[in-house]
Amino acid sequence: MLPDATAPPILSLRELSKRFGQTLAVDRLSLDVPRGSLFGLLGPNGAGKTTTLSMATGLLRPDAGTAVVDGADVWADPPAAKARMGVLPDGVRLFDRLTGAELLRYHGLLRGMPEADVTARAGELLAALGLAEAASTLVIDYSAGMRKKIGLACALIHAPRLLLLDEPFEAVDPVSGETIREILRGFVASGGTVVLSSHVMELVESLCDRVAIVAQGRMLAAGTLDEVRQGQPLQRRFLELVGTQALDAESLSWLRSS
Amino acid sequence: MAALLVGLQLRQYGRTLTRSPWAIVTLVLAVLGALGALGLVATTMVLLRVTLPQTGPDAVVVLGSTLVVGWAIASVLISADDALAPERFAMLPVPARRLLPGVLLGGAIGVGGIGTLLALLLTLIGWSITWPALLAAALLLPLQLLTCLLAGRALAAALARQLAKRSGRDLIVVIGSVLGISAGIVVVVVAEGVRALGSTDSLLGAVAGTLAWTPIGAAWGVPRAVADGALLPAAAQLLVALATAALLWLVWAHDFRSRLTAPIVSGGGGRVRSGAWIDRLLPATPVGAIAARGLRYRLRDPRHLVNVIGVVLLPLLILGLNVVMGTTVEVELGEGVADLGAFGDVGPMLLPLLGAIVLMSVGQLDTAYDSSALAAHVLTGVSGTADRAGRALGMIVLFGPLLTVTAVVTTAISGRWELLPASLGATLGTAALVIGAGSAISPWMPGQTPAPEASPFGTGSSGGAQALLGALLMLLVILTAGAPAIGTALAAAWFPLLGWVSLAIGLGLGALAIWLGVRLGGRALDRRWPEVLAAVTREH
Ligand SMILES: Nc1ncnc2c1ncn2[C@@H]1O[C@H](COP(=O)(O)OP(=O)(O)OP(=O)(O)O)[C@@H](O)[C@H]1O
Ligand SMILES: [Mg+2]
Repeated sequence: MLPDATAPPILSLRELSKRFGQTLAVDRLSLDVPRGSLFGLLGPNGAGKTTTLSMATGLLRPDAGTAVVDGADVWADPPAAKARMGVLPDGVRLFDRLTGAELLRYHGLLRGMPEADVTARAGELLAALGLAEAASTLVIDYSAGMRKKIGLACALIHAPRLLLLDEPFEAVDPVSGETIREILRGFVASGGTVVLSSHVMELVESLCDRVAIVAQGRMLAAGTLDEVRQGQPLQRRFLELVGTQALDAESLSWLRSS
Repeated sequence: MAALLVGLQLRQYGRTLTRSPWAIVTLVLAVLGALGALGLVATTMVLLRVTLPQTGPDAVVVLGSTLVVGWAIASVLISADDALAPERFAMLPVPARRLLPGVLLGGAIGVGGIGTLLALLLTLIGWSITWPALLAAALLLPLQLLTCLLAGRALAAALARQLAKRSGRDLIVVIGSVLGISAGIVVVVVAEGVRALGSTDSLLGAVAGTLAWTPIGAAWGVPRAVADGALLPAAAQLLVALATAALLWLVWAHDFRSRLTAPIVSGGGGRVRSGAWIDRLLPATPVGAIAARGLRYRLRDPRHLVNVIGVVLLPLLILGLNVVMGTTVEVELGEGVADLGAFGDVGPMLLPLLGAIVLMSVGQLDTAYDSSALAAHVLTGVSGTADRAGRALGMIVLFGPLLTVTAVVTTAISGRWELLPASLGATLGTAALVIGAGSAISPWMPGQTPAPEASPFGTGSSGGAQALLGALLMLLVILTAGAPAIGTALAAAWFPLLGWVSLAIGLGLGALAIWLGVRLGGRALDRRWPEVLAAVTREH
């Protein structure tokens, strides 16, 4: 299903700004994510991706600007907006003294789902993500990749219409990575929308149909993959927009073995 | 290298202090506590020097041994937080030999290390009875300090492999909390024992005489022997002291060296029991889920377990103390006014109230213990009221029965069953009041807790200044809104029927307090979710 350009965007950020002391982490950033797209958010370390997603999901109050999810303003009507989103935050703990199964059940019940649905879906999600074995192990004893996967399962359990995933493939093994890609493609095919941040250009290129590139809190480019790429490989275009840190001949010269 | 490590430690302190004003307040409180202890040492030393100069050395030997044991225990309890753990240097190509002095010194930079040094300097007052003793003590002071520091490092090193397993860490936590809670009581029991055994100073002399020959007291035994002019024992004890320090150094250095190349990785605990009964007990709603999660955490997370143990243990310990000392108290009361006899029965009845008061920090800090995991509540759009209600329900389900059992046990021992309603009214009423007040306060002052996986006795275990302020507010609430239930409970000692009144008032006002706390706290939370999340996420 191709994104319908005339329908209102499912996620719409307007002039979002956030300052931490001296750093302007996000600077009047605006972004529209059309319904049914698989949207890649790219940017160098410290670009403001996590900060932007936090402000779009209700974790961090913006200094200015609005975030609207499917017609519901995240900061004016949080319950409505949050019910439509599934979120995998980055750099946030899980309730890790629960087992994987207990954590999933917890998220399902917090979402107000009926117990029977929670139990059925939790079992399916654990099996699909290869966590069935670890279902009764405390999350605190999970590996980094397993934590990402259980976090993703928590974001999926209430079948949201919009998924916001902060670096969902980080530390995930290739097999699970492929599973996650399949899940996301199926989700989008059935009318869902995904926004994910990533540093892996090849992955974004093969998975996403739309991308946005941010650096220093500002939006540098946004649009369909082809619009942003302008005929170049995404990697090259990204470096062109963000600017490489050209190493001059002298720097780090001591590192080159004599 | 040593200067570098000490600098690193100092910078870490500086960073913590500049990041949060509460950290400064906490530091000030710690310093005030240390100053209080030092004041006590100074007063004791001066008093002994003036009135009983010959007892001074004995007291110092006991103090020194206590310091060594204290350092050993404290280091084990906070070893999980060690900023200078060998694993942190494992990646650096620096031999252990060059790291060790700096690590030892770096560990001494802090309220504990500086306080110990000052305490040791103060003991010189006690040694000033003869010039040779003073000289010997001054010369041995570095060795004494070294023994303290090394005792801490060596014991933590020896137990490091056990502490790396979750079961080992959790056990340490349980033992530590029992020790910590009962510390004051142990002192009283020992003192009582001493009194029963005979005159205090002859016993002090005997204890000091023994300790002076043991590894923990030998470094202080030397000047004591010198003061007595016993040079041969002094030499022997010096040998013991030096051998102790050398041995501790070897144990620690060996462990440090091996951990540089084979770091200890904290291990997990494997599978856990599912506790499905918790899910059956509580409704499958957001409120029920939050309550169930609270229950699981109270049993699985050592930071919570310590509080649970405290709630039950504190009243029971004081009760035990009462039984130990009971005879003397009764004799004194028997000759006093008859009415006081009735008051003697009120004591045990009100003991469970102490458990309810321990709940003060539990209620207020509950959110802070979650740390950034609280994001799950923010993201799922749980209403503030559901969050507050779930937490309150989880506490009621666990602490209600625990406090009830405590009240029954204390009443059974006092033997006045007609006072049980009064005991329950005062205890449960106050507990509910505290839970309600905590619910309302914590969105504004979530307080500080030790980070998840950090030692429950490390940074932030005191709850910080916000917790202190919260405790003051809650005391005010107890003294005002709690007065009817507690007052009628007291009066029940003379008019037992008032106990039922106390129970009714306690439960009624308590339910009202929880309802109000959930409403107020919930509304504040709905407006302040991101701010609360930021406050509990911040590292202290
Ligand atoms: N809580 C905070 N306090 C202070 N500064 C912050 C905080 N969170 C983020 N920043 C700063 O804001 C900027 C943007 O950070 P952000 O985490 O959003 O980047 P990012 O694009 O997610 O980077 P990465 O790709 O490394 O995850 C950085 O300069 C960072 O230092
Ligand atoms: Mg990020």
